[in-house]
Amino acid sequence: MLYFDNAATTWPKPAEVKSAVFSALIYYGANPGRSGHKMAMETAAQVFKCREKAAAFFGCSELENVVFTKNCTEALNIAIKSAAFGGHCVISDLEHNSVLRPLYDMQLRGEAAFSVAEVDLHDEEQTLANFEHEMRNNTKAVAVTGASNAFGIKPPVLKIAKLAHRYGALFILDAAQTAGSEKYNMEQSEIDILCAPGHKGLLGPMGTGILAAQRPEILKPVLFGGTGSFSLDFAQPQDMPERLESGTLNVPGICGLSAGIEKIASEGETAVAKREMQLAQMIYAELLSMNNVTLFTPFPDEKGFAPVISFVIGDLTGEQTAAALAEKGAAARGGFHCAALAHRKMGTENRGTCRISIGPMNTFDEAMKLVRIIYLAAKEN
Amino acid sequence: MKEYYFLTSSVTTAMKGEKILSSNGFRAFVFRDGAINPYGCGYVIKAVGDRDAMADILKKRGVRINEIREVP
Repeated sequence: MLYFDNAATTWPKPAEVKSAVFSALIYYGANPGRSGHKMAMETAAQVFKCREKAAAFFGCSELENVVFTKNCTEALNIAIKSAAFGGHCVISDLEHNSVLRPLYDMQLRGEAAFSVAEVDLHDEEQTLANFEHEMRNNTKAVAVTGASNAFGIKPPVLKIAKLAHRYGALFILDAAQTAGSEKYNMEQSEIDILCAPGHKGLLGPMGTGILAAQRPEILKPVLFGGTGSFSLDFAQPQDMPERLESGTLNVPGICGLSAGIEKIASEGETAVAKREMQLAQMIYAELLSMNNVTLFTPFPDEKGFAPVISFVIGDLTGEQTAAALAEKGAAARGGFHCAALAHRKMGTENRGTCRISIGPMNTFDEAMKLVRIIYLAAKEN
Repeated sequence: MKEYYFLTSSVTTAMKGEKILSSNGFRAFVFRDGAINPYGCGYVIKAVGDRDAMADILKKRGVRINEIREVP
């Protein structure tokens, strides 16, 4: 199978990640942070190492402010429900439902209000002006994606973060599509909270996610329970990361994630991004030359786009296009990609699109084969 | 040189403290003993060296220590 569904989760996982997960199941099988016996301490040390690596990777000042979650959605829910509560939040018109739905729900409950700012595809200054226009006196947070999961479009997040701070609001980055291929330094930028999946660009197993915070004091738990600390207290401990990590951690996942972060860090996010973008550009150029293919975004470049291409064949819907590719052995995602706002923005809310997403493990040879499959599918439809 | 117990509130804090002390030339390791550490998690950093110097380093790096006890 030709796998081009990396925006959903990257596959295959590198040998180092598989080996780390396997080792965890054999050697690190005790519950970390609960007991003092040898295996519990060794397991806790592995979790600590991953926390340390993640903090260094994202430039988060204190490693205890790296929280392990089960995915990026959980991290975003914690961040948004904490930061926007009792106020207003501005998001972009490219946001994933993981940002939209918590806010929509909060709005229905009267807990927060939110506004949507338009990202201009061609004019960064206009995008910033659009965000500024939506800022209010009670805006407590701005939450923006590093790149649209459906169309790859990258808003100017670092500039939006500065704008948010100018208005006294926190900036939350949804790095679901960019963690691992975009270099972030939280200490040196104005990203207050970064939410990332462990299983996409960081190459870890599914069931892993990260919340990294420069402003941990504002974060409130969405889950309460056992933390291995202050066991006799009825109240949730306030120490980080325990405040936000109730229940047993996904140790095999975290060990795999640790290996994934190490692999990406050793190659460097910039090199990964460059390699992925070269493949995206090659595929895009080939699709552009096909008569029966409709593309929805301009030619992608590293500055403005993640390596994601949305398209349809002939009169097919996104789902039908993805099915036509699947029949020929290529895995892509059709439909609406949990991105209601983005599809509305791009005028694809009726048909959806078929999304090709390139990952760190894709090769030139695979990209060529994918182009051939799309060519044949386009010819038949 | 005297030995001290640095009582922490979590395994993450204890391991961070151990790492900081070790990287500053102090011999330190983490273990768990609920009888020594009543602060909920039971994780303790046992370290050898000047008490005030170690406490100062940990404080500067934001490692919250609930209590320091000399090892009997």
